[in-house]
Amino acid sequence: MNKLYIDIGSTYFKVAQNGVIDQYFRDFNKNILDDLSSKCADVISRYDKKDIYICSSANGGLSTLIIGLTNSFSLKYAINIAFNSGINIIDTVLYPKIESEPVPSEMIDVVIVVGGIDSVEKVFDEKLLAYLEKVKYQNIVYVGTQKNRDFLEKNLENAVILENIISNDLKICEEGLKKYLTDLYQADIVGKEDIKQLYEITDNQIFSTPYIVNRSLPQINERLDVANPFIVVDIGGATTDIHYSRDLVNDNILTESGYDRLVFKKLGVYKSRESLVHTAKNNEFVYELLEHLNVTENILEEQSEKATRILMQLAIFLVLYKVSKHHGDYVELNLDILNSIVLTGGITKVLNQEEVDDIILFFYKKILHFHHAPVILLDRNYEIWTYGIKE
Amino acid sequence: MKVVTGVVGNDIHVVANRLIDISLEERGFEVFNLGVNTYLEEFMDAVIETDADVLLISSLNGEAEGWCRDLQILKNQYDFRDVVFMIGGNLGVGEMDPEALVPKFQNYGFDLVFHQIDLNEGLDRLEAFLEAR
Ligand code: B12
Repeated sequence: MNKLYIDIGSTYFKVAQNGVIDQYFRDFNKNILDDLSSKCADVISRYDKKDIYICSSANGGLSTLIIGLTNSFSLKYAINIAFNSGINIIDTVLYPKIESEPVPSEMIDVVIVVGGIDSVEKVFDEKLLAYLEKVKYQNIVYVGTQKNRDFLEKNLENAVILENIISNDLKICEEGLKKYLTDLYQADIVGKEDIKQLYEITDNQIFSTPYIVNRSLPQINERLDVANPFIVVDIGGATTDIHYSRDLVNDNILTESGYDRLVFKKLGVYKSRESLVHTAKNNEFVYELLEHLNVTENILEEQSEKATRILMQLAIFLVLYKVSKHHGDYVELNLDILNSIVLTGGITKVLNQEEVDDIILFFYKKILHFHHAPVILLDRNYEIWTYGIKE
Repeated sequence: MKVVTGVVGNDIHVVANRLIDISLEERGFEVFNLGVNTYLEEFMDAVIETDADVLLISSLNGEAEGWCRDLQILKNQYDFRDVVFMIGGNLGVGEMDPEALVPKFQNYGFDLVFHQIDLNEGLDRLEAFLEAR
């Protein structure tokens, strides 16, 4: 029996059956189930509940605040694990400076506290409690030195204590925290009333889309014409995601899956258009790029189809720039050795191959001083997620 | 006693690093070896995460000065209590006069400085230094 796959996005639904993918714009006046039913009730009725698989990225994801002892180990490891678990908003606090660090004003879904290998005593003290007193948060998880567990357990009622993410030889141990965060994200998605209702049409667990896409990566080069190493850039309405193989990073962090994910929360083309424009205006190469595209910066203020296309091209440029060695904010990818770039998400519906090739070649010439760019593939049908969702 | 070690900056000379790792273990130290190509910030962070007693940096390619002159600034950003800061290898380009090199690195904040000095001699002096404390 065939299966039906449904992806609930922030701007539209994708429904896949027999390798054919249909897309429907979301109607935000309706809840998800009603919206879905009004558009494809007859399709859904043709499938058994056990043959329908759903993933969702419709909620904004969880926010986290990470408090860590150093940049090179605690914070770096926790940031890496959080990204890989699909957690979006990250604020970080360097513990030795905690007394002068600003307190985030929004509600934090989960605070992560980390520092020290297991033999280290007294990393965290009253300063942590004083800071947390001012933070609004829902969950708190401790993944630092064993010798400090008692202090946290005693003073923070609902603290979840997990295995240290820093091993005794300073390597990353991601499993415990990753599982905790993935479950939390999962619970958050599924906990949303809108999503809960979807269990009326499926017997299978509903997963988060980034998790599903990450799971599909090992299969991509079997199914699409791409050569390793490659990256998948998912530019959607609200966020931009990069999925990449660990071979492209030199940071000595070894993770189990071999693939990592990076989220740029503020680089979406629709829902975070303003911050995309802001990031663009602050990039030193953007004016040259606009000139190359034969437009002026006024286009950034326009609301036209042409403006959207230009913004999408900018988004591609900015996201590559952000992971290149010129920026290397969180993760620096070795773009020099890249063989393929796969683009997926809403962007593939708007830009054509030529426009995408043009912008990526501009990036490789201007920023990396190359004469050629990797092979670029557009996942036009948005097939990638279907590889990961199939059990 | 815990020692964090490695080779600083864009330096890939790994042979001495392996020897240092082995020699320290033999002398009973607990070793955290960050290997080649390690930046000063990473060394300092490793000292903090492991609560190490000694930071032993080696540098062979002659670029030590450029990579280490900010040591004092980093030392001021955290309470390193009584960590011993030590550096050795080829600290300048070519022969260089140790009389000039040693005080320079001491000024950057190193307690023990060894320019082109044999490893065992350096480690003996480290142990004597720790003893004297
Ligand atoms: C092998 C070697 C290489 C190999 C390294 C392979 C590898 N992955 O390790 C390769 C070919 C890659 C290489 C490259 C380069 N090298 Co080279 N290399 C050497 C060579 C021939 C031997 C080094 C070695 O392994 N020795 C054996 C170990 C056991 O000895 P050691 O490193 O000297 O360490 C001893 C002591 O210094 C001491 N020690 C070391 N650290 C510490 C720390 C403390 C605290 C203490 C107490 C003691 C201590 O203990 C060790 C045992 O006693 C030396 C010349 C030489 N004969 O020493 C040049 C040498 C180190 N290289 C040199 C140079 C300039 C380079 C390059 C810049 C050349 C170039 N232009 O490309 C590059 C740099 C690359 C980089 N980014 O770092 C110069 C450094 C000049 C200087 N500092 O004045 C040297 C001295 C050659 C020379 N005479 O010009 N090199």
